[in-house]
Amino acid sequence: MKRRKFLKTLLAFFSTATLVTIAYPAVRFLSPLKKKIESKKLVINRNEIAAGTAKNMIYQNEPIVVVHDLTAGFLAFSRVCTHLGCLVNYNGEEKRFICPCHAANFNLEGNVISGPAPKPLVRYPVLVKGENIVIG
Amino acid sequence: MFERTRQWIEVRLGIKEIIDSGLREFYLPRGAGFSSTLGAVALVAFLIQAISGIFLLMYYIPDTAHAFMSVRIIMNKVPYGWLFRSIHMMGSNIILAVLFLHLVVTFYRISYKKPRELTWISGAIMFFLIILFCISGSLLSWNQLSYWSTTIVTYIPTLIPGIGGRIAEFIRGGQYVSGSTLNRFFAFHVAFLPFTLVCMAAFHLFFIGRTGFSTNPGSSPEGDSEPQSVYKREINANGMPFYPDYLLKALVLVMVYLASIFFIMTFFPGLFQPELATVQADPAMTPDVIRPPWYFLAPYQIVKLIPNKFLGISAILILVFIFVFWPFIDGVNERNISKRPLLRVIFILSITVWLILTVWGGY
Repeated sequence: MKRRKFLKTLLAFFSTATLVTIAYPAVRFLSPLKKKIESKKLVINRNEIAAGTAKNMIYQNEPIVVVHDLTAGFLAFSRVCTHLGCLVNYNGEEKRFICPCHAANFNLEGNVISGPAPKPLVRYPVLVKGENIVIG
Repeated sequence: MFERTRQWIEVRLGIKEIIDSGLREFYLPRGAGFSSTLGAVALVAFLIQAISGIFLLMYYIPDTAHAFMSVRIIMNKVPYGWLFRSIHMMGSNIILAVLFLHLVVTFYRISYKKPRELTWISGAIMFFLIILFCISGSLLSWNQLSYWSTTIVTYIPTLIPGIGGRIAEFIRGGQYVSGSTLNRFFAFHVAFLPFTLVCMAAFHLFFIGRTGFSTNPGSSPEGDSEPQSVYKREINANGMPFYPDYLLKALVLVMVYLASIFFIMTFFPGLFQPELATVQADPAMTPDVIRPPWYFLAPYQIVKLIPNKFLGISAILILVFIFVFWPFIDGVNERNISKRPLLRVIFILSITVWLILTVWGGY
């Protein structure tokens, strides 16, 4: 191997090694911090949500809505619209979730009725235990 | 694939021509050694400071209630946060050492003489801007040392009779160092100073580009000391090309600079972080001993030695004035320091006195 080629190869090797050495900590530094989730389940009193209404809350750092429907009972969904991430609101009269940004509509099952949303809302399991509702 | 991409860009932008005309055909004086690359090292060091600073901004909270804790989170919880913060903090000290050396070399080679007065002045202003960076940046960590150092530094203007108090209040954003001071220093540190420094660096590089690199005084051609009445760029036609010769030399010193940072980080992590810097700022309790950072020890000692504080501050300001406008004060045309015994004495004496004051100030 000629001297010039050897030096070029050496330079390429050390440059790559340096870049990787800098890039790895940089990517790790910029990755979001994993926050400790205090409790895996969210417990609320069932009297907090009157029949036919809904309540917005935060569960595992995610905005959710818990609906108390007369026929379907207690339901919990993520409020994050599957279109572009705006937060949906529950409309009790029409029994649907409406996104204020681009008017995506979801039914009580979380499925898309109309609008640009590509997927249903994320649903969370709900368990009614006596006077309490356990989400998650 | 790489060659095809390179060719694609070359056809459209003509990068080779830029490298040839701007870098390969930009010549430096023959024999320009490592001492000539200190400016380039300072430039790279500033870029490192800027990048690591942007990284820190992503987690830092400029609020008295959260600033100290956010720095602790960066150091202890954010992955590799300690690395970026240490690089930023060590770098802020070592960049000053590089600039000191750059100034000393420039002075020793008398490179500030006509037509390079503006290059010297812009460099001197940049030096003070970096010091302002250090002062404003140190408060951001909101620890006992930075809080009380800032209290002392921002107290200095009050020694000016009449308007001194107003100036101090203006700097602090109130009567005392508080959340307003933190916000002001933060804005100053991340917005105003970087912009000003980049502008000044652009001027500095422009001046170097227009006047050319200064020749070594020992090898200066005949008549170089003659007064110049028309614009003349130092071509150094038989000199050393900027690329690759100069850049490779600069690269070696950049490696030494990085190695110094990592050496201190590994073996002396507390060198620039005394114990007081690890305690949250407490405006209700002044520590027993507060010492300014090492680069401030000499002026600090001058102020301590002169009984009248106003005279002390005036002495510092006069020294700053002499330093910045030295090219106009030095009226002799001779650029070879070996032929100027008086200047040599001034040079050696200034450095020795400065070093003695720095060591003395530390005790």
